Amino acid sequence: MNCETIKKKVRGEIGKKILFYQNTGSTNTLVLGLADSSAEGLVIIADSQNKGKGRLGRTWWSPPEKNIYMSILLKPHIEHSEVTLITLMSAVACTTAIRKTTGLNATIKWPNDLIVSDKKIGGILTELKLKDKRITHAVVGIGINVNSGRTQLPEDIRETATSIKIEKGSAVSRERLISATLNEIDRWYAILKNGGKHILLEEWQGLSSTLGKKVTVVIGNRTLFGAAESVDGEGRLILRLASGKVEKIHSGDLTVLR
Amino acid sequence: MELEDLKELIEILRETDITEIQVEKDGTKIKIKREKLLAPFDMTSHKSATCQDKGVPEPSEETQRLVTITSPIVGTFYRAPSPDANPFAEVGMKVSKGQVLCTVEAMKLMNEIESDVDGVIVKILVENSQPVEYGEPLFLIEPV
Repeated sequence: MNCETIKKKVRGEIGKKILFYQNTGSTNTLVLGLADSSAEGLVIIADSQNKGKGRLGRTWWSPPEKNIYMSILLKPHIEHSEVTLITLMSAVACTTAIRKTTGLNATIKWPNDLIVSDKKIGGILTELKLKDKRITHAVVGIGINVNSGRTQLPEDIRETATSIKIEKGSAVSRERLISATLNEIDRWYAILKNGGKHILLEEWQGLSSTLGKKVTVVIGNRTLFGAAESVDGEGRLILRLASGKVEKIHSGDLTVLR
Repeated sequence: MELEDLKELIEILRETDITEIQVEKDGTKIKIKREKLLAPFDMTSHKSATCQDKGVPEPSEETQRLVTITSPIVGTFYRAPSPDANPFAEVGMKVSKGQVLCTVEAMKLMNEIESDVDGVIVKILVENSQPVEYGEPLFLIEPV
């Protein structure tokens, strides 16, 4: 990984300072530790992670030399009710960067899974800190499967996950994809901060492969089945159940049914 | 006294000219009063009444001393970092200021809620993996 190549291509505030680690536990944990003493836009990239974080204590598969694991420090001045827009913002930015860099038809599975050919190519987990009801910082952790081959994927995710190399048939530069992603985050974060919530929501809907589909959502020990109709102003999923009842979903494991 | 019984009393009040109903049952006293015809119903409960059998504490000097930890966002409440892990906090546990008590998730945005005080957990008010609203009380802590 050549950080200088990335730095040269970064145009905005996001990624102005980049720290690179050959190996770490989790890039999110590192950024959280540095958040109070660092300026917004700090990026930490690792070549591999021992404890890559997934949702609800799951681990993110993070082998060396192949993929992207990075975390970005944001200090947004937005209302607590709109924090979920950070999730949509990072998904839009990553999907756009993958499309522009690789030509693949990347889409978003609600709320922010990165999907190519109905399989997961990347994931985003954001950790938020609030003090006195104000957001002090948000750490956006991004994992993208770039150059791992089919047989290198762990067996338990081989059916549901993919990589850019698998889909494209050739390897791509991690540095190019990282700088494109940071530039897209810079652009969409500026749109969000400047009152462009509706532009963001519209873009998210255009990139989504969830809306209009039949889905199941597992929330704790409850499983809901219905049609994913739309998202509300905060990005919550509007799910119409078979009974006709409408539920607003703000978290859960969603599966698109075919 | 069940919620259904209360609803029935309110219905009686709504459909008649009666402005006040007082009922006593199993040591629980309920008074429902209507101030004006169009005003919202004023449900006044006497001390040691209504919900005591449901375990909601009476506002007393004791409960006023307790610190309430509320949810800063709308989301899903998790007591443990993962489904197989031990909860962050249990009733009776001593916690220090800044210690993580739970996680609230909204759309893959994980928010660790910390204790505002040094103290002992007196009550956990929400079940694991249940939805919570903005400002909803999650924990009662007795400061030490």
